[in-house]
Amino acid sequence: MTIKITEPGLFTTVQDLGRRGYESYGFSPAGAMDYRSYCLANALVGNDFTKATIEMTFQGIQFTVLKKTTIATAGASMNLTVNNQPYRIGTIIDLDKGDQVVFGSVESGVRTYVAFTGGLDLPSELGSYATHTRSGIGGYKGRVLQSGDILKTIGGHADIPLLEVDEAIETHEVEEIRVILGQESERFNTEYQNLFKSSEYTVSKDTDRMGARLEGPAIKSDNGHDILSAPTQFGSIQIPKNGQPIILLADRQTAGGYTKIATVAKVDLPKIAQKQPGDKIRFKEISIESASALYKESLEQLQNKVDLVPSKDFEAVRRTDANSVSKLIGG
Amino acid sequence: MRVQQYAEDALTVTFGQDIDETINTQLVQLKEKFVELDFEGVLDIVISYTSLIIYFDVLRADVKAMKSALEEMKQEELSTTPSSYKVVEIPVCYGGKFGPDIKKFEKSGLSETDVIELHSNKEYLVYMLGFMPGFPYLGGLDKRLYKDRLDSPRTRIPAGSVGIGGQQTGMYPFTSPGGWNLLGRTPIPLYDKNRDHAILYEAGDRIVYKAIDEDEYYRLEQAYYDGAYEVKVIDRGEANDD
Repeated sequence: MTIKITEPGLFTTVQDLGRRGYESYGFSPAGAMDYRSYCLANALVGNDFTKATIEMTFQGIQFTVLKKTTIATAGASMNLTVNNQPYRIGTIIDLDKGDQVVFGSVESGVRTYVAFTGGLDLPSELGSYATHTRSGIGGYKGRVLQSGDILKTIGGHADIPLLEVDEAIETHEVEEIRVILGQESERFNTEYQNLFKSSEYTVSKDTDRMGARLEGPAIKSDNGHDILSAPTQFGSIQIPKNGQPIILLADRQTAGGYTKIATVAKVDLPKIAQKQPGDKIRFKEISIESASALYKESLEQLQNKVDLVPSKDFEAVRRTDANSVSKLIGG
Repeated sequence: MRVQQYAEDALTVTFGQDIDETINTQLVQLKEKFVELDFEGVLDIVISYTSLIIYFDVLRADVKAMKSALEEMKQEELSTTPSSYKVVEIPVCYGGKFGPDIKKFEKSGLSETDVIELHSNKEYLVYMLGFMPGFPYLGGLDKRLYKDRLDSPRTRIPAGSVGIGGQQTGMYPFTSPGGWNLLGRTPIPLYDKNRDHAILYEAGDRIVYKAIDEDEYYRLEQAYYDGAYEVKVIDRGEANDD
């Protein structure tokens, strides 16, 4: 089960759910930007949520199949063909030796995940497969994938049922992003807190795996914008001196010196991960208790495969017959 | 002392507002006490200047129990003298091509030898790690060595560089752009994934720089590569009695 990359896409990395346990040493957890799509892709091929998976950004990869494999996709809707036959994102695809798999550009959203049965066969670094390109750690040689890279997969014995992801990613013209107020929110007076909660912000071009810079009404702090360097979270919303919020994302530095007005609720991080430059968002405050309950519910739903349904349209999936499926798994 | 939750998977304990050695010592003690309680689902405990964050697995950890346990640990009951810590010796070749900015101190009347004398052979407290993996925020720099960052950052600072940025000294475990004044470089990899401790120090430990010359730099570099050099780490305090 091996593939050879022929086109690397715009920014393609190997990710899992992140490198936890080393933030005390300053290691950014990195990991999938959209945990939900990462989990869905893995659930489709019967993986648990620790496997090395490919994350593509805006423009996908192209690869040649060197040995039989089974993949599943989830996340942003992206053009995909296998030997010129189109398939939709959110399904399982059996691949044979010599197949040409071409992911194109996204139709909406930003990031699409490709999971392989058993995950990619790579060495883990500090307990994780997550790539952090800025420090050259993890994933495939600590970097984005390039043409010519050959990736092996582990394979597995799972009897993969014919499922697909239930729904496309819902998007709204102005996406509501739930936030937990906090950490330094007392440094912002009521007027600015209300401005933050009532305004529309636009995701700027200056957005990557490290952070999303927003453009909109400037938020001012009464006591300056610098703090002693303090830990940051996936979703921390920093307000630097110019008042334009920055949402810190997967590849963030573990400590930062700007005031933080709020934290994005984890259930809404996948929405942020799928926002294109120019997309609009609005913040809504929720309590930490609600945010925690929603996040737990979301993780439990993913574990229980609630969002996967039996495939109805057999034209839309690419499966060899049941017999050969059982043969190729583990091959 | 405040215990708060600003994220689904994190509890934050805050002690004061300033950079203070005593606060660091108490945060380290709090971490040790909390670790002893052995709560299920704890992923990481991160110390910063004035706070400690506990990250946990939301599906396994009992947040309420952890919060009340933390609230019972009173700051005033935490010792202000460290119980145990490591002193890590980092060999540094000062000046020359490794430390192009060491000559800048001549303006303030400090020769290269003076700078080395003021900077090496003293224990710097590791307040926290961040900015990049293994980058230590160190306390204890001699006031005479305070130096503003470069007006225009260098595009590439080699891994192992030791420098000064404002009132702080520190070192770059990874090659990166940066605006610090460079004093020298260590031949020892500050991050080595194959070493028992990929990063040699953590918050609460001390770092001592030992001056070496260029010949020694290359000798140690080779020795480390050959597996014939081990970084000197001294355990201080209670840990010695175990």
